[in-house]
Amino acid sequence: MPAVLRRIPAGVISTVAALIVWQIIGSVGPLAGDSFATATEAVSALWTLLGESTFWLAFWETIQMAAIGFAISIVIAIPLGILIGLSRFSYRSSKFAFDFMKVIPPIVIIPIAILVIGPTLAMGIALVVFANVFSVAIQTAYGVRDADPVLLETMRSYRMGLLQQIRYARLPSAAVQIGIAMRLAIAASLVVAIVAGLVGGAGGLGSFLALTQSSGNADDTYAVILFMGAIGVALSRLLVRGQRRVIFWSGR
Amino acid sequence: MIARRIWHWVLAVLIAGWLPVLLITWWWNASATSDNPFFPPLEQIWEQFKLNWVFLNVPIHLVPSLENLFTGFAIGVVAGIGLGALVGASATAARYVEPVVDFFRAIPPVALVPIFILLLGLDSGMRIASIAFATTFPILIATIEGVRNTNVVLLDTASVFRLTPAQLLWRVRLPNAMPVVFGGLQVGFQIAFIVTIASEYLGSGFGLGAFTLIAADSFMILDAWTGVLLLGILGYALSLVFDLVERVSLGWYYGQKKLA
Repeated sequence: MPAVLRRIPAGVISTVAALIVWQIIGSVGPLAGDSFATATEAVSALWTLLGESTFWLAFWETIQMAAIGFAISIVIAIPLGILIGLSRFSYRSSKFAFDFMKVIPPIVIIPIAILVIGPTLAMGIALVVFANVFSVAIQTAYGVRDADPVLLETMRSYRMGLLQQIRYARLPSAAVQIGIAMRLAIAASLVVAIVAGLVGGAGGLGSFLALTQSSGNADDTYAVILFMGAIGVALSRLLVRGQRRVIFWSGR
Repeated sequence: MIARRIWHWVLAVLIAGWLPVLLITWWWNASATSDNPFFPPLEQIWEQFKLNWVFLNVPIHLVPSLENLFTGFAIGVVAGIGLGALVGASATAARYVEPVVDFFRAIPPVALVPIFILLLGLDSGMRIASIAFATTFPILIATIEGVRNTNVVLLDTASVFRLTPAQLLWRVRLPNAMPVVFGGLQVGFQIAFIVTIASEYLGSGFGLGAFTLIAADSFMILDAWTGVLLLGILGYALSLVFDLVERVSLGWYYGQKKLA
């Protein structure tokens, strides 16, 4: 491999290669036709979309659903998790119930949510909360239970109160778990906000995507999905970096 | 000794069970006199549930859903592990392929369904293709990761024994990657379940998801509730089955870990 090529990052080369393969498949390959957009068509459609205010408005709605839903679930789940984690009995009592709710994907309750709340931003927010609250709470409780027993005994012999226990022993030990849970929850919030729009008609990028597909506009459909992928990659990079900085004492 | 073990088990079930039992009892009683059209009495939902799913609608709606789910998942598993093993065996290949795979992984799996609707229409083929495509990426990523990080001592030993590359991949790298691959399989299976439902919501007609959404859209509230309940129970049951399969097939690994 020539030296010039070697200095280009691997990701750039493979991305360009993937785009070329995509272009060939779509223009001369088996998928040539109206229902498949080539790389150039998708990218130019995305370029046009990026100049349209309706697209940015849809993006903003998705961000709103994800952010508000995430904030609500954190405000509920972390205090709840701390409470549950303080006693062995309450932890073991709620573990099963929370694990049960945790594995039920929010997409399952969309039909009921449409009935009860209607296809609105509020429904998207409710789905985001449902998606996060159980997993963040039980993860927090696990972290709280995981506090160093020697440290707790020591604090007890110094007659430090419950609040101090929470502040100096329980929370620092739970911080790593909470950090991981929050990172997963942020990523999940964005996905759920998009799904709420796509399947439940809650608005935002998801509904935008549903509209481009149902009107048979392949170029725009691929453009929106490209955009979602780019946002997803950027977000996950940001989250990994952010977590490393905030919880610097954990190797993870 | 045995009596004590049984006692411990009973205690564990009691501790885990009282809260769900309490909540369901509360739901049953609180909804008994409910005249809110969206929250019918749980007793009525239960009667309708028995009418729908024991077993009148099972062959029409549940069986096709499960068929699509498992077919799509199986294709995704074969594609993900196969490609992942090939790519992960070479560090250079992995470095080039990973960014592209990461990109596909970052797209919400459900958002891929519209692409397949455009390409294939609304039938089973579209559903299976969406499920398979979305399932492939988490499995692919896990397999690349697992195969690439084979223990160096194992690799050295393998080269001393002059294993061929195929033997190395099949006998050393892949078995060693299995615990990591299973993590990918688990995520892949959750995604397969979600995409199954989404493909039925978006494509019209048959399937448990379609049944539930159509019921909700036409204000058949009881039917919608039974669909949501069945989907929820199904989601949990499938995740239990998956855990069981993992524990049985990775028994050797957990045994090793306990010894170490």
